[in-house]
Amino acid sequence: MIRYLRLYGYFLQFSFSKAFEFRIDFYFRILMDVVYYIMNLLFFKVIFLHSKYLAGWSESQVMIFVGAFIVVDALNMTVFANNSWNVAQLVNRGDLDYYLVRPVSTFFFVSLRDFAANSFVNLIMAVSILVWAFMKYPEPIGLLRTLLFGLLVLNGSLLYFLVLMLFIIPVFWTHSARGLQPLFWTTSKFMERPHAIYSRVVRWVLMTIMPFALMASVPASVLFAPNPWAITLGSLLVTVAFMSLVLFIWSLGLRNYSSASS
Amino acid sequence: MIQTQNLSKTFRVHKKVAGLAGSVKSLFNRQWLDKQALRDVTLHVGSGEILGLVGANGAGKTTLVKILAGVIHPSSGSVSILGHNPWSRSNDFRRQISLIMGQKAQLWWDLPAEDCFLLLREIYQIPHPQYKQNLEYLVESLGVKDQLNIQIRRLSLGERMKMELIAALLHTPRVVFFDEPTIGLDLTAQRAIRNFILEYRKLHKPAMILTSHYMEDIERLCPRIAIIKDGQIVYDGDLARVVNTYANHKILSVEFETEVSPAQSPKAFAALNAEVIFQDSSTVRLKVARTAVAQVAGQMLQQFRVKDLSIEEEDIGNIIEKLIRRDKDVSGKIVTPKL
Repeated sequence: MIRYLRLYGYFLQFSFSKAFEFRIDFYFRILMDVVYYIMNLLFFKVIFLHSKYLAGWSESQVMIFVGAFIVVDALNMTVFANNSWNVAQLVNRGDLDYYLVRPVSTFFFVSLRDFAANSFVNLIMAVSILVWAFMKYPEPIGLLRTLLFGLLVLNGSLLYFLVLMLFIIPVFWTHSARGLQPLFWTTSKFMERPHAIYSRVVRWVLMTIMPFALMASVPASVLFAPNPWAITLGSLLVTVAFMSLVLFIWSLGLRNYSSASS
Repeated sequence: MIQTQNLSKTFRVHKKVAGLAGSVKSLFNRQWLDKQALRDVTLHVGSGEILGLVGANGAGKTTLVKILAGVIHPSSGSVSILGHNPWSRSNDFRRQISLIMGQKAQLWWDLPAEDCFLLLREIYQIPHPQYKQNLEYLVESLGVKDQLNIQIRRLSLGERMKMELIAALLHTPRVVFFDEPTIGLDLTAQRAIRNFILEYRKLHKPAMILTSHYMEDIERLCPRIAIIKDGQIVYDGDLARVVNTYANHKILSVEFETEVSPAQSPKAFAALNAEVIFQDSSTVRLKVARTAVAQVAGQMLQQFRVKDLSIEEEDIGNIIEKLIRRDKDVSGKIVTPKL
């Protein structure tokens, strides 16, 4: 475990020294994400021009949800995104070879090697937006609930990555450039709305087999809902289940890996 | 150290008719084709031994190497390397092997080599003093001390390959797979890498398998070779024996004292039952059947005023080349000599 942390330390170090070399990309990413954040905030602001509540959520609650969702997105862009986009190329061009012969978990290496240091600024902005939403909340929020919320936001990011991987790993069989990613991008839109707006059946689906609600909306609800512990435990369990599933399918993929000939 | 038993690998590829119509058709009704990349490969490589794996493109060399390194799974057969099954990929196994592919870079382009090496030290958990000692030795013998802190993408191909070698050998593997380690390099760099491999072998006695398209690599590095053709090992034995077994000809070079007039010479040589490879006014090189060498040489001495005469073996690369390219029905006759 400590060894893996040390390895991650190296990944961070490499990414930062690399990021500062490509300045244009660095600024462009900031601009791109700022626009994205503003669009999302504005969307809900517009809704609350016409209504005081959205499926029982007040405006300040929804703002915290949007903050959470932006942080989850930024965390993913920073920690996982580059890596998940790379998987198809690693598999199709046979570049996975060198990862496979190293005496460390190949999945660890593939998931975390490329830390997007140039998204790090975005992560700081995203967290600021979340803090702003917290400060604007009219009632006091307990420390315990805040901690559980923080934990669930981290959990949500991991879950986001795991679900995305489920759509990417099929490249071991399809050898397409992106796997089933477009399908993921379409369905992941569910994550951008509070889950309370959906019908019961859809909510259930979004909290189990397609757990997009557990990524930002449910974490936000832990701040206001009556049963924070049950929500937390349930969310963590779903992550464990998805982790096992992804690792299992990953190992099937490796069995099928044909390593493009050099 | 390396032992394989009846190793086979079949890839399933889909057969596509050329053109758009073919693509559309294959969308609904796909025809699969089984391509046998390896059949019944049985090999043994001991400690300190370098086995040269020779074969045409697509013969199965790289597939074999990748199975042995645990990168891909075979369809059938078994492998034991240091007592491990490669494709279970246990860390204990992976710590003791190394894979070097001339065509695929393992080092990260944006980093200086030394940073990559530090990461590898962490991955392989090489103790500090040993890391320092290994690195010093490798850098010294490959002569890349001044390039350690330069980004990989700014290095020349030769320097980069040397860095790849260092990266692959830092953890002193006991089994090393080289897949075309000298591809695309100039002669000096090729020679440096060859010498280094030999020296490394002497020092650490790893079991090594090397594939290359350069016959000089094979001649200089591998006392023993395995020739692979259509996924099958058609020869496994001493390199020297290839010549004795398969060279049908020798090369006879003759230098004349007086000029031989071009008009008369072709006829004269043709009568000798030899093929002219090269000829100018005072020298000639002939390809002569092994059995006829003494006779032809004798006749030469009788018919011409010879200043100098020498007999050479046919180039080993040519022989192997011929073995690899032979038609199917002929290759059937190739016998694997008893080891």
